[in-house]
Amino acid sequence: MSRSTAVKPATLPLSKSDGGKAPLKLATQTLMSANNIHKSYRKGTLEVPVLKGVDLEIAEGSFTAIVGQSGSGKSTLLHLLATLDAPDQGEVHFQDRRIDNLPSRQREAIRNQEFGLIFQFYHLLPELSTLENVLVPKMVQDGFFSYLRNKRAYKKRATELIEMVGLGHRMTHRPSEMSGGEMQRTAIARALISEPSIILADEPTGNLDEQNGDEVLDTLNSLRNQENLTVVMVTHDASLAQSADKTIKLVDGRVV
Amino acid sequence: MYKLLLSWRYLRTRFIALASIISVTLGVATLIVVNSVMSGFVCEMKSRLHGILSDVEVAAPLLGQIHNPEYHTRIIRDVLGDDIESMTCVVRNPALLTFEVNGRQWTQQVMLLGIDDESFGAVTDFHPYLQNTHKRDQFSFDLENQGYPDWAAANGESWNGESGWDYRRRKVQKIKNAEARRLEQEKLYDLAAAEYLERQAAHSRAWEAHHANGGANAQHEASITSEQPIAASQATFIGPDEPNRSSVEKNMSESGFQYVPLPEKAPDFAAIHAKQPEKANEEKPSALKLAPTHYSQNGGNLRELRKFSPVDTHAKFREEPNFEDFFDPEKDQYTGIILGLAIAKRKTIGEDGELKDFYMVRPGDDVQIMFPTVGGAAKPISENCTLVDFYSSSMHEYDSSFAFVPLKELQKIRGMVDPLTGDASVSTIQIKLKEGANLDEARDKLLAQFPPETYPYDIHTWQDTQRPLLSAVNMELTILNLLLFMIIAVAGFGILATFFMIVVEKTKDIGVLKALGAPSSGVMSIFLGYGMALGLVGTSAGVILGLVFVRYINQIAGVVQMITGQEVFDPTIYYFSEIPTIVSPMMVLMVGLGAISIAVMASVLPALRAARLHPVEALRYE
Repeated sequence: MSRSTAVKPATLPLSKSDGGKAPLKLATQTLMSANNIHKSYRKGTLEVPVLKGVDLEIAEGSFTAIVGQSGSGKSTLLHLLATLDAPDQGEVHFQDRRIDNLPSRQREAIRNQEFGLIFQFYHLLPELSTLENVLVPKMVQDGFFSYLRNKRAYKKRATELIEMVGLGHRMTHRPSEMSGGEMQRTAIARALISEPSIILADEPTGNLDEQNGDEVLDTLNSLRNQENLTVVMVTHDASLAQSADKTIKLVDGRVV
Repeated sequence: MYKLLLSWRYLRTRFIALASIISVTLGVATLIVVNSVMSGFVCEMKSRLHGILSDVEVAAPLLGQIHNPEYHTRIIRDVLGDDIESMTCVVRNPALLTFEVNGRQWTQQVMLLGIDDESFGAVTDFHPYLQNTHKRDQFSFDLENQGYPDWAAANGESWNGESGWDYRRRKVQKIKNAEARRLEQEKLYDLAAAEYLERQAAHSRAWEAHHANGGANAQHEASITSEQPIAASQATFIGPDEPNRSSVEKNMSESGFQYVPLPEKAPDFAAIHAKQPEKANEEKPSALKLAPTHYSQNGGNLRELRKFSPVDTHAKFREEPNFEDFFDPEKDQYTGIILGLAIAKRKTIGEDGELKDFYMVRPGDDVQIMFPTVGGAAKPISENCTLVDFYSSSMHEYDSSFAFVPLKELQKIRGMVDPLTGDASVSTIQIKLKEGANLDEARDKLLAQFPPETYPYDIHTWQDTQRPLLSAVNMELTILNLLLFMIIAVAGFGILATFFMIVVEKTKDIGVLKALGAPSSGVMSIFLGYGMALGLVGTSAGVILGLVFVRYINQIAGVVQMITGQEVFDPTIYYFSEIPTIVSPMMVLMVGLGAISIAVMASVLPALRAARLHPVEALRYE
């Protein structure tokens, strides 16, 4: 935690200078990579292989789409990249560090501060308001007292983000009072609160109609440009993948 | 932070959790109420049980004696040392108490205690229980003029409620008046009888003169004539020792002749009839003898000699041969006796149908006690005493059995005083220990000093005496606490079940939190915190509810009584006018902590389950 705050002070506002420097790195640096990843699930006594040796590289500042049919293992791959699960074989590297075998504490810290996760079913906490939902990663990051100390700055940033995704009028609403698009935009704001280096999105538009899906995608795109984000998006919609810099196609557990 | 926020939100939004809270609340409130009432009850009961018992007692067996009590008290003082607060010697023996209630004899068994005026009060809480306010401050066995409570008795007498010297004088006066009336009637009877006898004698003489020449046959015939039954009736009424009774008349009365009164004599015979029961009455021993009109030489001297208070008369001159003649109940009292209130008090129904207290005897009345002398060949002794006061310790067991008389008197009467040395033995040495001294330890030390192999003494603490009751109450309290904690444990299982449900319901949220970087321990502490919050809220509500209930328990009992018509707390059974309660902060704290820890423990399993959820599985969960 201390490491991340040193790199990226939480109070630091979104700065234009960062955005200026980033394109230079973009071409040269690999932010995340996966080498020969194998993963299988156990169904009773039967072992079902899902990923059969996947290699990929994600450049900093790129927009990568992972496409494939249902059951091709693209969600599993994203989970492995997000360290929510550990591969049976192979390695995941992030910023030149192997992260798949780190102790859970460190993996949690990386998830919390370096990754922004967006899910198909939004996964907002139903008891919390929009603002509180966006603040959850910060609450998880800080202890009780440091959170109270930094609360004002967090709130300011959260409010900015919520306004940025166009939900300024929905600040105190519960998820149950919002539409799917609004919920997904809240989830995007939540993914951005910790100023992550990479956004991992699992079918962010999968549960939305076309119009809402486009809105969400637009939001994501504009934020990516503003904040110089690396985005990895899993989708089964080939048309969505067209807007990506790079498309990785998964068929039957292998990159094609 | 998210842990607190989520615990709080879950608490506010899950109404199912309310059920668990209510069961915790009820359990805690019940525990507090029951514990407060029980400890209030036990404390009250203990102080009552202890009441007129001393802390530790060295007792000779029944009718036995402890010789040379000074030696024993010295030894006890050596053994127990500084633990002793005070000590007293007591003579204790069973006795029969007899008194008269409206002409009927009432006898009952009592435990008679001869107590030392000063030291007994220091060893036990005897004085505060006395009914006469003067005696509480300045104790004596004298009958008082005032200070007795106004016992609203339904005796149907004009001096209702009175006690003391006034009552005694009035009663004696009444008896004297009745006696005077009786004497007057007797005199009338004597006159009538004399007149009748004279007439009869004249009649007989005339009859005898008339039949002077008649033989035995004629005499026998004559016996059947109408005049004869007069003689028969005379035999009945005047008695067998009458000098003018003849053998013929005797024969006739025995052969079953009916009495036919002479017409002119009828009113006199009615008067004689009326006398009959009163005459029988006169033969009965009465506590209050009529003061004679003249004194014997001896009694007169005593009266001259008397320079003591009226109270001392009995003690000083009991042995005098003419004591009864000399004793004036209007001015004198016998040895004072103090009885338990329950001995004299009975319930009666007054004119308005309400239950009332009826006092069979009251201070100022004389009673008799009969008890055995000491030693192997014990003989019963009967002794007059004047009731000077009641005591009421509110322990029925004591109030219905103990009677107190002065120690020295009892020693003298029972023959416990050595005629040569003048040393008096006792039957019991009672010891009061200092506050906080260990009673059992003191008893064991005394047992070691007076081993039962050598000394035939029974050494026990007051708790030993009441051991069965005390241990029963203690066991009751323990069991009750155990059972009530079971109630809270049941509430704990309720929390367990509810939480498992909530964990299942929140699986996805748990997955999200983990995906956002929340550690397992954090997820676990959400649910532990939730359980603790439930426990805290439930316990606080329970503590408040319980304390309010305890505070207003008597009013609540009244309301319940009003609704159900059943008396919840009958003061005549428990001898408390109100339900006694003691709220111990320690108990409340323990109950509260216990309830909270049960709630936390119940949430451990669901929390562990939540913590072990795999984030991917949890996110996939639909």
